Order: sequence, then structure tokens, then C-alpha cells
Amino acid sequence: MADQATTNADQLAKDDRKTGIGVVATHTAIFLALMGLWELAARGGLLDPLFFPLPSDIVVSFYRLYITQANIWWHLGMTMTEVAVGFVAGSALGIGLALIVGMFDRVRRYLKPYIVILEATPRIAIGPIVIAAFGFGWTSKTVIVMLVCFFAPFVNTLNGMASVDDEELAMMRSMRASRWQTFTKLMLPDALPEIMAGLRLAMASALGGALVAEFISANEGIGVLLAQYTGTLNMASAFVCVFTLTGLGYLIFRSMEALDRYIVFWTDRDRTEVMGRVRAAKWKGLVKEAYA
Amino acid sequence: MTAVASTVSGIRGGPDVSSRSPEAPAVISADNVTKTFGGGRVVALEDASFDIRPGEFISLVGPSGCGKSTLLRIIAGLIDKSGGSLKVHGEETIAPRRDVAMMFQKPTLLEWRTAVENVLLPSEIAGTVTDDDRRRALGLLKLAGLKDFAFSFPQQLSGGMQQRVALARLLQTGADILLLDEPFGALDEFTREHLNVELMRIVGEVGATTLFVTHNIGEAIFLADRVFVMTPRPGRLAEIIDVPFERPRQPALQLTTEFNQLVARVRSVLGGH
Ligand SMILES: Nc1ncnc2c1ncn2[C@@H]1O[C@H](COP(=O)(O)OP(=O)(O)OP(=O)(O)O)[C@@H](O)[C@H]1O
Ligand SMILES: [Mg+2]
Repeated sequence: MADQATTNADQLAKDDRKTGIGVVATHTAIFLALMGLWELAARGGLLDPLFFPLPSDIVVSFYRLYITQANIWWHLGMTMTEVAVGFVAGSALGIGLALIVGMFDRVRRYLKPYIVILEATPRIAIGPIVIAAFGFGWTSKTVIVMLVCFFAPFVNTLNGMASVDDEELAMMRSMRASRWQTFTKLMLPDALPEIMAGLRLAMASALGGALVAEFISANEGIGVLLAQYTGTLNMASAFVCVFTLTGLGYLIFRSMEALDRYIVFWTDRDRTEVMGRVRAAKWKGLVKEAYA
Repeated sequence: MTAVASTVSGIRGGPDVSSRSPEAPAVISADNVTKTFGGGRVVALEDASFDIRPGEFISLVGPSGCGKSTLLRIIAGLIDKSGGSLKVHGEETIAPRRDVAMMFQKPTLLEWRTAVENVLLPSEIAGTVTDDDRRRALGLLKLAGLKDFAFSFPQQLSGGMQQRVALARLLQTGADILLLDEPFGALDEFTREHLNVELMRIVGEVGATTLFVTHNIGEAIFLADRVFVMTPRPGRLAEIIDVPFERPRQPALQLTTEFNQLVARVRSVLGGH
């Protein structure tokens, strides 16, 4: 039976790889064809070159922004720092607070209405106020990202903690588990899939939050650069900024996915199988002895 | 099997038939145990009195709401009684005890732990885990028929296998009193019947005192030394019926006239309700 399962998994993996290569080839072809069409349409006067620069111009601008002028790096670094610090601080605050609140029923009941009201407020609306309070520098942008990244992890962590099964709690209690043991061995890991989903949501909005904050008012960051290029109608360079953000967003998405597969491995069938082998390896000596 | 017996022997000697004799001191003794909910409006259990002797297998049978789970939870120390006295090993129960372990209808396994890590949970909660605890966990999994699945995660196991892991975990506690609240109730009939036979073998091997809740009259009689028949509204221990059949028992026992006479007797007690 176990053998059957592994061969099935292997077969699936093989299928995946096959289609994987095929998909990449197809999409590269489609992408190149679209770019070619765009180039032709622009050269033929079908697209207004003021708003739709030639793909070839964009490639040239890429080279300039990243290598000859190399001015994008500083701004990119700025934005990434805002996103990273804001995300870590905001979600840590959200998760931490939710864990404390989740452990105490009464605090949760008192806090609930305020959470609902705050959740109904569009986070970015607080942006100008934050900027007025913290100035035009990096601090205010980071604080805005923090606000954007606070709620999803907070709410998900609370939900995750509240959804623990009653029989599982009774099981821990019948084993005389302490409050702390019940928390670390049952409630926290049980809530992890939801916490991770909250983190993914937060991360997805973090980059957008940083950009909007930079649009509102700032003197550095990729949002500022983008606004400047658009303002001076340097569209090829503006598109370089947009594509850079696309790449960054994709990278963030993929790394969150990888983190998810690593941390909450049991929600993924293939990862679960791998972890089973990893754990078995740790017990090797004992198993040999016990099942000799 | 000898390796298993030695790893399991921490619980109590071995199966000891003489311990089932009436003269042995009761491991659990209940005197007018009562439990009400909702400020006395719901009487979940009324005046239950009984003695359970070491190594006995008791089945609790009765319709939904007759207080079976309530009684088990009081013995487990999970809920307080409203009145009466309930002693485990001579001590009034006020909280969960080390020598009493409970198993539920759901396997209640932790999804992020392998089978053997789940079995090890009671040892972790009790303190530091030694290699002896680990060997014991492996031995109990073998006893439960899961030798080849020690490193499978719960979602890789069938419902019946998950309950076997839960059973191994129950034994890992080292408790000599096992409380099972419809442990196989969610499984299909074939798996359930098979696991019932396995359960008899395993608790016999470790010599534990067992309270087993079920809705199924045949199952209750087949497994037990005595059947507690309970009736609802208010929850009452209506009658205690002795089951005289020799052990080990084979499933074919359920086809005999004597067996079916007992089934009819339980039915008649329940019939009035
Ligand atoms: N926490 C509770 N609050 C209020 N009433 C309860 C509570 N727990 C149980 N009861 C009531 O007590 C009675 C006995 O419940 P119990 O769960 O012990 O029955 P049971 O015999 O285990 O039933 P089942 O076979 O359905 O599991 C029922 O009427 C039930 O509604
Ligand atoms: Mg019940």
C-alpha cells in the first residue's frame, strides 16, 4: 500500500516536471509575441508613444537605471527596507497581541468591538496623519506598512486560537498539561496554518502600502522614482519601475509560499511525506533496537 | 511479543485473572454521584453508585443523553460532580490524575506530529523524555498493529489507524484506568469489530481497568465483564449485568443463544425508556 502511494507521488512529480518545461516554453513564446506586437503597434503609430513606450526603449532604460546610472538601487533598497521592517514589526505586533488576547477570554470580549471598528477603517486613510506625525522620511512609511500588516495576522491568529477543538483541549487536560504546554503543544501549532495565511495576506498588501505611502509624500523610494518619471513623461523609465515592482512582488509571493511549505508542512501532501522521512531518520537507532 | 510485554510492563504486572475477584479492593467506587447542568435544570446523572475492581472491563451502554460521557468525564477529573462521592484508588477525584487516561470519539491526534511523536505526547507533558519512553512508544505502536506506520502523519492514516495511534498514546500515559468514550463510534462496522477484538487483547495484555462507552448493545456485551445499562432523563445507572463468558472471546460468540439472551435482557432494561 505504501509502495503504491510513493509510485503515485513519483508519477505525479514526473507529470509536473514535464508540464513545467512545456508551460515555460509556451509562455516565453507568448510573451515574446506580445512584445513584438507591442513594438510593431508603437512603431506603426497605433499606440501613443507618450504613454506606451517601445519595448526596445524599455530594455534600454533597464540598462540605464540598473547599470549605467544605477540610480534605481538606492530607491529599491529604501522601499524594500520599509516593506521588510514594516512587515516584521506589524505582523509580530499583530500575532503577539492576538496570542495574549487569545489566551484570555475576557480581554477578547472587551477588545472585540474596537477591532471591528478598526478593521472597517481603510488603513491607508490614516496615511496622511501618520506622515504628519512622523515626517516625510522612512519612519512614516515604515509605520504605514506596519499598520497595513497588522490586522490580517492579528485577526487570523485570534481565529486560529479560538477554533481549537474542545475534545483536543480535553485530551490535553486529561494528561494534566499546564496552560503553557497546552499553548505550545496544541493551540499555537494548531493556529499556524491560519497565522501563515494572515502573514501571506499582510505581505501581499505590504508592498502596495509602501508605494501608496511614497506616493502621498516622500523623497526616496521606488514609488517616488516612479512618480518622478511619470511626471516628466519618461515613460520607458516609469515602466522599468513598474516591472521591477512586478518582479519584487513575485519574489515576495514565492518566498512566502516556500516559507509556508516549510512551516506548515502538514497542509501539503508531498512535504508531509518528506518530513516523515526526516523524522524517521532521527529515530533510526531506536527503531532498529525496538523492532529487531 | 515478549519485547512488547517488557516495554509495557510499567503499567501493572500482566493480565491477572485473580484480580477480577470480588474481594479485591475497588479501583473506582462511586456513591450516589450526581451531576446537574444549568443550575439544576438538566440532570445529566442521578445517584450513580457502583464499585469497579482492578482489571475489570466495564461497558457503558444506553441511548444518547443518558449521562455516559458525563460519568466518564467525572472519573477523568475533567468536570466536577454536583453531589455524591467518587473515589479512584481510594481518593476523591477533584482533578485529572496520572493513573487515569481518557480516549475520545475523535482521534484528537496532533497533525504536525508523526504517529510515534503523538504517542510520546503524554511523556513530554509529564516531564523530560528518555530513550526508554521512546522505546516504549515504539513498542506500544507495535502492540497496536502499527509497526510500519510509526513515522506516518495522521493525515496519511485511515480513521481506524488513527484511533490505534490514539490507543497507543492512551497506554503510553502508564495509567491503569482507561476511559474510552465511543472510541470507534465514527468508524465503519468492519473496522470497528476488528478494533474491538484488538482492544480486548491489548487491555488484557496490559491488565488495565477499562470503562468503555458504546451505543451498541452487542458490542457492549461482547467486550465486557459487566455491562452498565443507563437510561436517560434523568441519566441513571439502571442496571448492572454480569457477562459470564470465558476469555479470550471469539466473534462467533455473538451468534450463541446465551449471548442473545443477554442482549435481550439489556434491551428489556432499555425498553421502558
Ligand atoms: N456542558 C453541558 N451543559 C449542559 N448540559 C449538558 C452538558 N454536557 C452534557 N449535558 C447534558 O447532560 C445530559 C447527558 O449528557 P452526556 O453527554 O453525558 O450523554 P451521553 O450519554 O454521553 O450521550 P451521547 O450518547 O449522545 O454521547 C444530556 O442531556 C446533555 O444535554
Ligand atoms: Mg457521549
